[in-house]
Amino acid sequence: MNEAYRYFLIFLGALLIYNILLIRFIALCPLIGVSTQVETSIGMAMSVLFVMTMATTASWVAWNYILEPLGVGEFLYIPVFILIIASLVQFTEMFIKKVSPPLYRAMGIYLPLITTNCAVLAAATEAVKPGFLKLNVAYHFSLPEALIYTIGVALGFGLVLIVFACIRERLETSPVPHAFKGAPIAFIIAACLSLAFMGFANLLGL
Amino acid sequence: MEEQTTFWYEFKKGFILENPLMVLMVGLCSSLAISNRLENGIFMGISATFVLVFSNVIIAAIRKWIPDQIRIPIFIVVIASFVTIVDLALKAYFPPVYDRLGVWIPLIVVNCIILARAEGYAYKNNVKNALADGLGMGAGYTCVLLIMGFIRELLGTGKIVLFDKTLFNIAPPYNPPAIFILFPGAFLTFACLMALLNRYKMRKAE
Repeated sequence: MNEAYRYFLIFLGALLIYNILLIRFIALCPLIGVSTQVETSIGMAMSVLFVMTMATTASWVAWNYILEPLGVGEFLYIPVFILIIASLVQFTEMFIKKVSPPLYRAMGIYLPLITTNCAVLAAATEAVKPGFLKLNVAYHFSLPEALIYTIGVALGFGLVLIVFACIRERLETSPVPHAFKGAPIAFIIAACLSLAFMGFANLLGL
Repeated sequence: MEEQTTFWYEFKKGFILENPLMVLMVGLCSSLAISNRLENGIFMGISATFVLVFSNVIIAAIRKWIPDQIRIPIFIVVIASFVTIVDLALKAYFPPVYDRLGVWIPLIVVNCIILARAEGYAYKNNVKNALADGLGMGAGYTCVLLIMGFIRELLGTGKIVLFDKTLFNIAPPYNPPAIFILFPGAFLTFACLMALLNRYKMRKAE
């Protein structure tokens, strides 16, 4: 299997086949909580892409140059990764505030939320620490692979979030049975979308 | 006597009035993802309750010495240490369960329930109430997991398997629709449970 094709498989697997929201159920809170408007969903998706890429890079460096050589990775990876993510989020927030106030106003309110967004920790753990990845691809835990995987995960998150927000905007004006108003109907829609995404299963032998 | 009632009240509050999954809608991700089997629900419920109770107690005990500005990183470190204990214990004693739960164990760190209770409750209350709150929230979470796991495993596979023993088997003419143990089933089951609860509340309000 040539190199470019392998990268393509990793990307596609993370984006569609093992979609983080609908197939893996990671990060459902923002899906239900934030996705009421298309505009906010786009803001959230962009912030996640940004933080996730940085978090995986930092975790990869920490795992390969600090935790693994010292032999403490097995029992220190949880606190180390989560602290890296939390401080990165804080740092990003301060940096954006200083450099680009308009961008801060657009992204600002989502940034603190991302610390507790499970998707970031999940992507970092799966891409960096052996033993968690579910994809059926030869994966060597190198930095470019980890980055491609993470970008795939983040784009998959954004794609579903925006599609979901579009549907929910329509839902505002449609007649829904009384008991299903609000969150329950959102879950029913998620079920339908998830059903659609299951169509990607076993695509290209993944 | 007075003390006794507040303890019970705090416990009951987490279990029913403010059930984390059905009412507060936090910590949804893990509950939907792993509730395809009753057994997973038991292990996940116990792990999350363990982390919740101990982190609540520790944070309540040291709350007077935590500086306000850096409380979130401190909470996360406390929570991460207990999650590491669960992670290593499950890996050592129940390897098959650990394989099935996979990335969900490290993700307990960012499970919104635990951080929300640390920030919203344990940080402002004494140790005893925090203990009751942790137990109640944990029991409420576990209870919903068990209900979901029971419904999905029963409908999806036609039987209940617990610790390699079949407890329950529906007669052969029943052809189990596998959709219930797959991803869309989780959304559907949860939506129906929530709609039922809404209906019950509306009845009561009338």
